[in-house]
Amino acid sequence: MTNEELSTNARTEAESRDGESRGDGTGGSTADPDGEPLVEQSISVDDSNVRTTPANPDTVIESKNLDVFYGETQALQDVSMQIPEKQVTAMIGPSGCGKSTFLRCINRMNDLIDIARVEGELEFKGKNVYDEDVDPVALRRRIGMVFQHPNPFPKSIYDNVAYGRRLRGQTENLDEVVEESLKKAALWDEVEDRLDESALDLSGGQQQRLCIARSIAVDPEVVLMDEPASALDPIATSQIEDLIEDLASEYTVVIVTHNMQQAARISDKTAVFLTGGELVEFDDTESIFENPESQRVEDYITGKFG
Amino acid sequence: MATQDGLDWAGESGQVSELRGSLFKYACLGAVSFALLSVLVLLLYVAADALRPFSADPGWHLVYFVTLVLPALGLAGSYVRSEKPAGEVAVATVGIPIVGLLLAAAVAVVLSIGLLSVAELFAMTIATAVAVGVIVVHARNRPRAAFERLVVLVGAPTVALLGLPPLEVVWLINTALAELGTAARIPLRVISLRELVLSAPVLPLGWMMLVGSVTVPVAGALGVVVARRRERARDAVTFVAGAAAFAAVGAFVGPALGVDPTVWILVATFAVAPVAVYVEGVVRREDGVAGLAFPVVLVGGVLAGAVLVEQFGFAPPEPWLDWQFLTSVHSRTPADAGFYPPIVGSVMMMIVVALAAFPVGVGAAIYLEEYAPDGGLAGRFVTLVEINIGNLAGVPSVVYGLLGLALFIRFLDMPSGSVIVGGLAIALLILPIVIISAQEAIRAVPDSHRQASYGMGATRWQTIRQVVLPQAMPGILTGTILAVGRAIGETAPLLMIGAASSVRLAPSGFFDQLPAMPRQIFAWSTNLEPEIRHGVLAAGVVTLLVVLLVMNGTAIIIRNKFQREA
Repeated sequence: MTNEELSTNARTEAESRDGESRGDGTGGSTADPDGEPLVEQSISVDDSNVRTTPANPDTVIESKNLDVFYGETQALQDVSMQIPEKQVTAMIGPSGCGKSTFLRCINRMNDLIDIARVEGELEFKGKNVYDEDVDPVALRRRIGMVFQHPNPFPKSIYDNVAYGRRLRGQTENLDEVVEESLKKAALWDEVEDRLDESALDLSGGQQQRLCIARSIAVDPEVVLMDEPASALDPIATSQIEDLIEDLASEYTVVIVTHNMQQAARISDKTAVFLTGGELVEFDDTESIFENPESQRVEDYITGKFG
Repeated sequence: MATQDGLDWAGESGQVSELRGSLFKYACLGAVSFALLSVLVLLLYVAADALRPFSADPGWHLVYFVTLVLPALGLAGSYVRSEKPAGEVAVATVGIPIVGLLLAAAVAVVLSIGLLSVAELFAMTIATAVAVGVIVVHARNRPRAAFERLVVLVGAPTVALLGLPPLEVVWLINTALAELGTAARIPLRVISLRELVLSAPVLPLGWMMLVGSVTVPVAGALGVVVARRRERARDAVTFVAGAAAFAAVGAFVGPALGVDPTVWILVATFAVAPVAVYVEGVVRREDGVAGLAFPVVLVGGVLAGAVLVEQFGFAPPEPWLDWQFLTSVHSRTPADAGFYPPIVGSVMMMIVVALAAFPVGVGAAIYLEEYAPDGGLAGRFVTLVEINIGNLAGVPSVVYGLLGLALFIRFLDMPSGSVIVGGLAIALLILPIVIISAQEAIRAVPDSHRQASYGMGATRWQTIRQVVLPQAMPGILTGTILAVGRAIGETAPLLMIGAASSVRLAPSGFFDQLPAMPRQIFAWSTNLEPEIRHGVLAAGVVTLLVVLLVMNGTAIIIRNKFQREA
């Protein structure tokens, strides 16, 4: 099934179900024709997300038949997907299914692994990022990244946020940029009066928000997040989730997560990868969690597998 | 119901055997105690030979024990019990003047052996200040011109200090041209600012130049500390002016008191000024002021002891390791034998070793860790190279001596047994160790930081410069200094490159004959005079060990400082 078909399906389904599942708070349970709850735990799709989603957002990242190999092992198989602009796209799937690999393909972080090999096309704003004339450094300056474990540099909080700007030699108005980025990352109030202290003195959740501030300080167009909340406690996780929703008004966010509730809560689109590096389903988050097309996705979401 | 049988799990019946584990533990304890004890006994034995504490009257020991050791121990005990800051202050107020006096002694030696004259020092300071000024002004006015900055960064110091092209390069090219039989010579060169100052018709007086080139920069650095502490820039200027004035007074008052003006200025700069800044800070913070009593008690104890010993007529010990030993040259009479040229020679050799091994070793380590490919045929070749660097670290030092002889003396025609040849041969010897320790330090930088940097759109160079090197630097420095410390005791390469057993003059340049501490000790070990074989040799060994300890201590301080900043 091609991508186009997928998204058409998604739209028609969303329309046909309109008014049926809204506002009852248990989201996933009403869509199943048998009347049995599809999802045992109450995974509810956040309605506000759906409403603010533009009808036909522009595609900013598009992969066409992307294959990735690590040596002899194939990590991604023929992945085609269109990631819309200024929305949150989540990728879920069991460990080792290639979702992080896909994420790292977008800003060519896989180039740093000698044995990784990419085939197919991955377009950022209509230009294949694997073309000969694309400089991965320039690409990464447009596409920021936040990693699974908070990894601030052992420098001061200020220097961490200013790092990207200084790399580019953009040192004018640095104070304002740092302040604004920390505010956007909802960290300013906590660190306002200790910008000179080491970033390593912050708590894990604060460090992760600092890493988000660091990546948005350079005004990227896309922010990639590789399980940003997996090493954090529930309170820090919910702070990060709120933050991601806010960021989507300005940036395109692509997030890998193991946590299905999280994907359901914060994302507009969801891609489900299953073992073997296969993209099984890509659709509006609502449809994925309420009425997945593939039986395997349904099994995965309901916890029968993976 | 808890019966007696029900308590079996508690292990009373001995099902869990701890016997083998305990035996192993005590065997390990035995090994470590044996190793440490045997080294300790050897060192005590050597120290006793060098210092001969038992040649003194028992009364002498008793007097100093009562006036110096008891009060100092008591005070130290009270610091340990009461407050931590006071102990730190006590250590610092004793340590800062010691380090300062060592630095002052080093500069005094550099001036006295003619390695640098006061005028050269002065010219170098002016040229350096101008070069730094040019760099700062350029960076402020054109912050975005990256390539231009590189040119200025390299060019300004070169032109200011060396001239364009440097004198040595001109000499090299002219010699080469003469060898080739051509009459052409380099007609003119841009003279450096340093040479310009040196050739000035009138230079200031010696003490003025010394104050200008030593006191002002050191006091300036201390002044920055003062200004930061008081948050007023004017205090820094006041401090520098005060320090310079105090140093300058020595030029007039010193001779009247029988103190050499140079010594006055150096001591004022390196010992008095830092202590003044530190004490002022302690008093201002009112934290650990009690610690300031410690140096007072030490000095008071020494003075009181001296008076009492004089009063009762107790004979002091007659150590081999005394001031005379440190400041005179080797002699056939044991009482006159000294160690001064070898100390200077070894330190100069260490400078060559550090300057040669550090850039090459760290550069190699950065390439192997950050740039070299890990996969494929090339990756396998890199692995082979890395294994062989490990093997090179195990090659006997006498073989490196042979390499130095063949490479530097036979092939490059450098003077046999000179400081530069000894330094380069030993630099080759420690190069593998420097590479391996630097590689380990670089490898210890978490990959997640590199990833974060690349993810921000940093180039490889920016990542290495901004993320990897700052974090790896403490480890790199520690490894290098420990390796240099090992090198200072190397004897076999020095024998191979023809270092003389006893040199009567301290080297005044890097192409002079090298008197080295281990070489002199080796020569003493076969001396016919038993007092030299036992006493003077032991004094030499203790001196060598103290120099080694100072270097390793520096390594530890540098590492801790960097770690705290990180």
